[in-house]
Amino acid sequence: MYLIDPAAHTRRAFLRRSGQLAMAGTALPFALNLAAMGEAAAQAAPADDYKALVCVFLFGGNDYANTVITYDDPSYNAYSTIRVPQGAGGVAIAKDALAATLLAPTVALPDGRQYALHPSMTQLAGLFNTDGKVAVQLNVGPLVVPLTRAQYNNSNKKLYPQPPKLFSHNDQQSTWQSSSPEGSTVGWGGNVGDLVLDQRQNTNALFTCISVAGNAVFLSGDQALQYQVSTSGAVGIRSIKDGTTYGSSSVKAAMAQLAQETRGHTLENEYNKVTQRAVQAETTVTSAIQTATFATDTFGSLNTGLANQLKMVARLIRGRSTLGAKRQVFFVSMGGFDLHDNLIANQPGLMQQLSDAMAAFHRQMVAQGLADKVTAFTASDFGRTLASNGDGSDHGWGGHHFVVGGAVNGKAFYGTPQVVSINNDPKLAGYEGHVGQGRLIPTTSVDQYGATLAKWFGVPDAELPGILPNLKNFGGNFNGIEYPKNVGFMA
Amino acid sequence: MVEDIATGRDTAADESARVPETAAPIPAGARSRPLPLAAALAASAAALAACGGGGGGGGGAGLAAVAESPPATVQAGSLSALASTPTAQTYVYTQAKTDEEAARFLLQSQFSASEADIAAVRSKGYLPWLGEQVDRPAEQGGRDWILGKAANTVNADDMIWNQLMTAPDGFRKRMALVFSEIFVVSRNDIGSSWPDLMMAQYWDMLVAGVTTNFRKLLEDVTLNPAMGYYLNTRGNQKENAQGRQPDENYAREVMQLMTIGLYQLNGDGSVKTGGDGTPLDTYSLDDVTNLARVFTGYDLDIRASDVDTSAWTARPMALTAARHSVLEARFLGASVPAGTEGKAALKIALDTLFNHPNVGPFIGKQLIQRLVTSNPSPAYVKRVSDVFADNGAGVRGDMKSVFAAVLLDNEARSPAGLSDPGFGRLREPMLRFTQWGRTFGAGSTSGNWKIGDLSRPNDQLGQSPLRSPSVFNFFRPGYVPPSTSIAAARMVAPEFQLVNETSVGGYLNFMQNSVLPKSTGRDVNAAYARELALVLDPAALVQRLNLLLTANQLSAATQALIAGALANPAVSDKSTDAVKLNRVYAAVLLVMASPSYLIQK
Repeated sequence: MYLIDPAAHTRRAFLRRSGQLAMAGTALPFALNLAAMGEAAAQAAPADDYKALVCVFLFGGNDYANTVITYDDPSYNAYSTIRVPQGAGGVAIAKDALAATLLAPTVALPDGRQYALHPSMTQLAGLFNTDGKVAVQLNVGPLVVPLTRAQYNNSNKKLYPQPPKLFSHNDQQSTWQSSSPEGSTVGWGGNVGDLVLDQRQNTNALFTCISVAGNAVFLSGDQALQYQVSTSGAVGIRSIKDGTTYGSSSVKAAMAQLAQETRGHTLENEYNKVTQRAVQAETTVTSAIQTATFATDTFGSLNTGLANQLKMVARLIRGRSTLGAKRQVFFVSMGGFDLHDNLIANQPGLMQQLSDAMAAFHRQMVAQGLADKVTAFTASDFGRTLASNGDGSDHGWGGHHFVVGGAVNGKAFYGTPQVVSINNDPKLAGYEGHVGQGRLIPTTSVDQYGATLAKWFGVPDAELPGILPNLKNFGGNFNGIEYPKNVGFMA
Repeated sequence: MVEDIATGRDTAADESARVPETAAPIPAGARSRPLPLAAALAASAAALAACGGGGGGGGGAGLAAVAESPPATVQAGSLSALASTPTAQTYVYTQAKTDEEAARFLLQSQFSASEADIAAVRSKGYLPWLGEQVDRPAEQGGRDWILGKAANTVNADDMIWNQLMTAPDGFRKRMALVFSEIFVVSRNDIGSSWPDLMMAQYWDMLVAGVTTNFRKLLEDVTLNPAMGYYLNTRGNQKENAQGRQPDENYAREVMQLMTIGLYQLNGDGSVKTGGDGTPLDTYSLDDVTNLARVFTGYDLDIRASDVDTSAWTARPMALTAARHSVLEARFLGASVPAGTEGKAALKIALDTLFNHPNVGPFIGKQLIQRLVTSNPSPAYVKRVSDVFADNGAGVRGDMKSVFAAVLLDNEARSPAGLSDPGFGRLREPMLRFTQWGRTFGAGSTSGNWKIGDLSRPNDQLGQSPLRSPSVFNFFRPGYVPPSTSIAAARMVAPEFQLVNETSVGGYLNFMQNSVLPKSTGRDVNAAYARELALVLDPAALVQRLNLLLTANQLSAATQALIAGALANPAVSDKSTDAVKLNRVYAAVLLVMASPSYLIQK
């Protein structure tokens, strides 16, 4: 009933390992003893040798069309006609409302295309226009190979394979994070963590991949584990940690044993392993994160779910030497984006929360002197339809995303501006680029997006295909569109 | 006594190694030979007594005597037809031979096991007990409970905790809670002007659905205003010339989550594959877009004559013909012809979904996962989906029979599961908490069950009933915890989606500090009357908790560890109440922290 194919992951792991073996034959430096190299590098590295990737996942599928809003007259007018102006009961945002968040890239887009951010995203717009630390990745989404609409419709799925279970929330969340639908157990963030472990860059492996949201397959590698921490830090288990439990030291001792001992039952044993990890990590994490206040306060009164998660990421990064971490991958999230209804009512708050929190986090990294070592990026289940269903939009495919950080080649757009059309007549303009109702066919794949981030993080080119399995199908011009393996938004 | 219990279970496990997939002769000489169900139903009460009694070893204090008396009845009420199904012909475990077998059945069939429940199951047999549960009159619903209180004194959280902790028909409520994790509507995102009444009436509908037909339940869910709000059928309108499209949310999720799922299934739940080995999809984007037309035109049924402004919350959504799409709609091989009016279109759509061959295995497997084990054998899924297809009286979708098929199956009942390291499921946090309340006589000082939303993972349960974070429930049926031997064994463990370094401690701290100790500052407290009576005898205390909380699934070593820990500090009848209570709290915490409690087998 549920597609679980551990064999596929095993195969990926095998290919990656065999890739390393193959490289040994070509005598690339990376093929040398990885562990020894890693240790040598770690010892030689300067004290501030640190990098982190922060995935900001927008659960529910963010509405791309009202996030990065097409602004030049022809595009805007098409958008406004299709979505129907807000003033007329539709979901198109008025052009007047966009002037303050109009994006001014260093190099203008071809064909006069312009974009503005959602009116509530003033912080990210400022970080784009003034600081130049935001890149906008246009129309990115899961792809196996580049596809035209005709190829998407072609029944030969061997020739024109598609990501499985398009438009399905859980499966596309999983596909964004791990290239496979629900049931997947290895994500590309975790695979990046695997390489950190291979190179022994962190003295405590457990603190390589950390979620401050729920469990996310993104952070699970072949070896790397997801460690999870709450927005208030690691939870100390009182009945195991305190001197006595209900006035009894022997009860405390029994608790410590019961909750952590090895078990013969598979599920019991795995549960206890999580508790054991929690107990072992808690003291270190608590020591590392210190107080909730920063030397330079950049979050101010922000108290949103995302801001609080990013504050914890910032505290963990601040405590990186206590954690023994030089390379880390983080996962944070927001929910509420599945706006089939109430798009106009609910999206502004979500967009503001996202914009404010990401900007405050970046400024905190600036304050800590780590701006060019920490890169945050957004991801989401999918984009949505351009067509309106009255007061919202439905599940789509490609969408626009943000990359924020000091090492970002900002004040720029990457990828290819999307078609603004819901036309289904192949003989007319506006047919290509979507699969109906403005569900965008991505013109940049998640694999390209991820590879660009992973390469900046330090993953060698030869390792990228093992982490992002479809990357091999990109790199070059297909059907008139460029699909570079490195999209270019990282310095 | 501790050792006796453990020995008793070992003996039981020896009796039946692996249960055969089909009806097969039971090895001669078994001490308490179970009869196939049909034979058991046909047998006289006296004959049943001869093979059903005599459990011996597992009898807890004061419980054993009941088991020796003959069953009062072999009637199964509305479940009688089940006996004639091929599925029921396979049943070999019809009677609880021991208290622990009865407790095990009860902890799968409802929220808790009391001594009276155990006695009832032992005297009646599994099927007649279930028959009684499905035929008992309906208890007060959540909506009526709220309406019976002064305005604004109780909310949806109070309502559901009251229902889960106190309702006399625990079976029906337990099954309804399963439905609430498949037909998900969440209080977190209901968006109605009457959120509490909306959630309550939705809950009441799910409760009624336990003993109704799946087809009716599907229609009730589809037209329920709570679902209308949650998945946007409310206010959904047909396409128009400006490019407006029908909202696809319900059309998509009713297929993906509530009826057929993503992949074509065999009767045993395995995925059908094409010639190249790839799974076969059940539907495409076109199916969704077409089916969405059927769900247009609906909105809240608010009437000008309403005196009570919340009256609509108890009514199905109403259809406005002018807003309903009359375009042709083709989906799943069916067709709604152009011009078909709304009710007729809905009938075609829901009949098509209901009769899809996937429903039995898709829903049946999830029921097994929620109630018995995360990784049922394909044959178990097949037996349940066969009952979904035909309840023995030619009826498809008879849910009470389907639930019974889940709970009576050899795979659920056989002792083999107790020694299988892959059998069972993680008890959901909300079920642990509900079990605590029912087992230890929790009561609400105010009568309003002010427990609240327990969704925070770091210092609460990380789960609260009717508060799923999305329509995809708290966890996915196909969730595989990465980097575990569960994944390596190609197993799933849905409830582990809630398990991480935060939630394991959050649960333990919450139980230790905010649940177990009595507190005058808290509305809901347990009485612990029976436990306090055993407080001077740690082994007896552990024995009782082991039976009622885990159906004696704690190992002898674990029981000894707990009993030993409880010996310090010493407690005598001269000890203060606080000291005595501390021993009770410690005993409950230790049992409820034990991995062999957390994983229900």
